[in-house]
Amino acid sequence: MSYLVATSLEEALTYLRDSGGRARVVAGATDLYLKDLPHSLVDLSALPGASVIEEADGLITLGACLTHASAASSILILSRATALAEGCMAIGSPQIRNIATLGGNVVNAAPAADAAVALVALGASAVLVDTGGRSREEAVEDLYVIFNRSAVDSTSEILLKLTIKSCGTGEGSAFTRFAPRRALSLPLVNAAARVRIENGCFREVRLVVAPVKPAPTRLLQTEAMLEGMAPCEETWRLVERAASEEVEVRSSLLRCSARYRNHLVGVLAARVLQAASERAREEEGVDGR
Amino acid sequence: MKKQVIIFQLNGEPAEIHIDPAKSLLKVIREEFGLYGTKAGCGKGECGACTVLLEGQAVNSCLIPAGKINGCSVETIENLSRGEDIHPLQKAFAEKGAVQCGFCTPGMIMSAYAFLKSNPRPQPPEVRTAISGNLCRCTGYKQIEAAILAAAPEMDKENKG
Repeated sequence: MSYLVATSLEEALTYLRDSGGRARVVAGATDLYLKDLPHSLVDLSALPGASVIEEADGLITLGACLTHASAASSILILSRATALAEGCMAIGSPQIRNIATLGGNVVNAAPAADAAVALVALGASAVLVDTGGRSREEAVEDLYVIFNRSAVDSTSEILLKLTIKSCGTGEGSAFTRFAPRRALSLPLVNAAARVRIENGCFREVRLVVAPVKPAPTRLLQTEAMLEGMAPCEETWRLVERAASEEVEVRSSLLRCSARYRNHLVGVLAARVLQAASERAREEEGVDGR
Repeated sequence: MKKQVIIFQLNGEPAEIHIDPAKSLLKVIREEFGLYGTKAGCGKGECGACTVLLEGQAVNSCLIPAGKINGCSVETIENLSRGEDIHPLQKAFAEKGAVQCGFCTPGMIMSAYAFLKSNPRPQPPEVRTAISGNLCRCTGYKQIEAAILAAAPEMDKENKG
């Protein structure tokens, strides 16, 4: 096999083009390396801007090769996209987080990848460019075809960056998961939410749980139900029931029984909304002082 | 398999090999350089026995393709002691009974080493997170945590001195 550490985007795209589908893109390589390796790999982690974290006009831009460790310790992400910092911190182990990347977490297309679940809740977009020079921007949740298969063809397309609207006044986000152990453990269920609280009521809720479908899944009915409701005990009880009823899950030897997972979906949905709304209120308090 | 020339820094010294870039960093370290301190455990990034530092950060060397280390610095357990003069972490592991069979020890120490370099005054929960990617089936982690906490001020002193 051959391994190219690309130093420019043009070099990476040319290499992919010349390889006629036999080369594919890699970043941290922690998932790909355990599978059958292709004929050639193009490593993107040294590209200029590959690990950037920046904010301009309320939009956070993250390089696709940003590691989970860097994302989890970024003050900007911790304060303006908290769910992502929490999702990144839940992945694997310190060793994995030091090398695995956000872009890889999305393109590897595991249905309950913790960072991807947080990104979908935050409403993140992916910016892609292909070997034909075409560029496109897609919502992260639209990048999944079937279980474990991404809509990004890594032999001809590169995920360059992710963008997120940063959480401002009255907004908050959170991520949570339930797993047998705290490290190196797949989640039985994970959940993330982004909320805005206006005059004490929910507005623009994004609630995501996984694994339910191939992509991290928004619970649209529960989101709609929450519009205008107040964050309080009664609401959490309603959310538990609504979220559980909204999903249809299978029993899995890898994770747990359908009934248990269904229960967890409700519990985690309520917890993550509570955490996100508390942050939104703190944010409102701080900025309104 | 097509071989490539990989140039990197190993334990502070320049290193060059002609190798299949798909080979793991773990194999490079053990088979090409004969540094057997780094252990081969699960081979899939779950046990942490193969932990080394890549650009100063703890990584599972079993998951790193050799092609990725071109131009990078790699540090293994062999770089910690200076002859008979062992590193504060190694000393603390021995003194606190943090070693039984010893198989996890090099990886455990490398995780702790990377952690203490950026966290000279750690709290116990931080230590637990720092070694959460390293499995030990003998000592039960308590002694390991105690050893890392005991080594922290010594390592800090050494770094400042």
